[in-house]
Amino acid sequence: MRLSASLAALAASLAALAAARSAAGDRLLVVADDAAQYSDLLAALARRGFAVDVRAAANTSVALSEDGRRLYDHAALLAPAAKRVGAGLTAQAFVRFVNDGGNLLVAASSAASDLHRALAAQFGAEFARPGSRVVDHQARNATADHATVAAAIARPAAAAPILSPDLRGPVYFRGIAHRCDPANPLLTPVLTAARSTYSTPLADPPLAGRALALVSVLQTRRNARVAISGSADLFSDALAPTNRRFVRDLLQWTFQEKAVLRETAHSHRLAGAAAADAAAAVTAATHQPEHYRIGNDIVYDIALSVYHDDAWHPYVADDVQFEAIMLDPYLRLTLNRTRAKDTATATATATASATYRGRFKLPDRYGTFTFRVNYKRTGYSNVDVRDTVAIWPLRHDEYPRFLTAAYPYYVGSLVMVLGFLALCAVWLWSADPAALANNHHHPAQPPNDNADDDAAAAAAAAAKSKSKPSKSKQKQKQKSS
Amino acid sequence: MSSGIVATLARSYASSTPQRLKAIDAYMAFCVAVGVLQLAYCVLAGTFPYNAFLAGFGSAVGCFVFAASLRIKTDPRNARQFGGAPEAAFAEFVFCHIALHFVVSHFLG
Repeated sequence: MRLSASLAALAASLAALAAARSAAGDRLLVVADDAAQYSDLLAALARRGFAVDVRAAANTSVALSEDGRRLYDHAALLAPAAKRVGAGLTAQAFVRFVNDGGNLLVAASSAASDLHRALAAQFGAEFARPGSRVVDHQARNATADHATVAAAIARPAAAAPILSPDLRGPVYFRGIAHRCDPANPLLTPVLTAARSTYSTPLADPPLAGRALALVSVLQTRRNARVAISGSADLFSDALAPTNRRFVRDLLQWTFQEKAVLRETAHSHRLAGAAAADAAAAVTAATHQPEHYRIGNDIVYDIALSVYHDDAWHPYVADDVQFEAIMLDPYLRLTLNRTRAKDTATATATATASATYRGRFKLPDRYGTFTFRVNYKRTGYSNVDVRDTVAIWPLRHDEYPRFLTAAYPYYVGSLVMVLGFLALCAVWLWSADPAALANNHHHPAQPPNDNADDDAAAAAAAAAKSKSKPSKSKQKQKQKSS
Repeated sequence: MSSGIVATLARSYASSTPQRLKAIDAYMAFCVAVGVLQLAYCVLAGTFPYNAFLAGFGSAVGCFVFAASLRIKTDPRNARQFGGAPEAAFAEFVFCHIALHFVVSHFLG
């Protein structure tokens, strides 16, 4: 154990000098009954920095985890006929390994056991019936049995990162076909058959042509990667001259040596002055409020980097989207790359990343929102970044005052006040002299039971005298003059 | 014929209505004008500062109601019914106005 660890350390230090290494770790378990058959592949893996631990399937010491921790970062099941692995490792043990984040290669053959079938079925790949094999009488190599077929490299547009764009066929395949469960959107076939290829003995419906998958890959939501191949011979020395490039690409992807995506930093803050924006480093969550007000202008930054060729590089894309969610997305916007921040590449290659930025105005809705970047692209690792942010309503004294639209109402109410004052003035200073005189006499009268009647009579008299107000005013004026 | 009726009405109003009641009538017409203008603005420009509209329009309506109340109480022909001095009615009128404009300015936003 100690020897293998020191060997692994040595291999790692060599690999650091030499070739690409996995972003997920170096510990690789290869379960192979006839390891000599895969010497080309194993040598290549060791060159790439993996601490390869080759075990026979019948070796009862083979274990994937110990005390609840993974013993390996990657596992390759290159024992196509093995009915059992180790001390009775079940398909569930391998699924647990994948759930823990381990990467897995499952290679089967026409003699695939129930273990292989159960394991592939867990990931949505259904192998053809036991004992069947893939046959093609046209697209094949020179062997007599027509069972080593020339397969086509499938390139679904969305799965571009899995295989290099300059990879060319043919890839020879000898083994069993499988069908991809259409209900599993995570499973992507990367090696499919020519139209003239079929699986024999024929089933009903026959598995043939495009419906037939030869190698499929899957990435779990937790970013563990699985490759399922119906052929272990695909990886063998015998077919290495044609298949080497494809196998390298496939295993580089499966063992996370490329297309590994990660978020290195993210932040959100109030949009301030331009200088403040420039100064705020995306790596430091210096001023990251836990709450905002409705309608605030926010700046959101996220830095993404992708791992390939032994280093992290800035991840360049134009489809990074941001969402502000409260049950439903209230906002969804595409983030734009900010060139200025990518200078990190010059200073520290280890944290090289591309920064994407979005500016937005919070909706007129308060509550507990989730700021989320949910970036899931086939072939790349899933990036799902969430921040829970409280969005508060305005306080009673934070509402806008003196709105332009409300000026008519301000003027209206002010005019009513002025009108009231004007009426008061008119009332107080333009009373009829007759009424004034009447009121002066009124308190002097002795109180009696019929006071109301007297008042009514007096008022009536006043009204009579008022019937000629102009005359009385004129008289008054004459008197005063 | 109709012009004759209107002219008679106007003459009768001018001659038989006390000065103070005429002032109140003018004030009430003013209230209606201000209220109608604000309502028209609200219909045209939208209800956005709704509180301000309610305050402005309510101010006009409230003033109209208080003026009507004052007019009823101080009309000499209703003296038998209400009895109190016109000064008391006017004091009530002033008090109600102060309260109304306090609420309106509060609500104006």
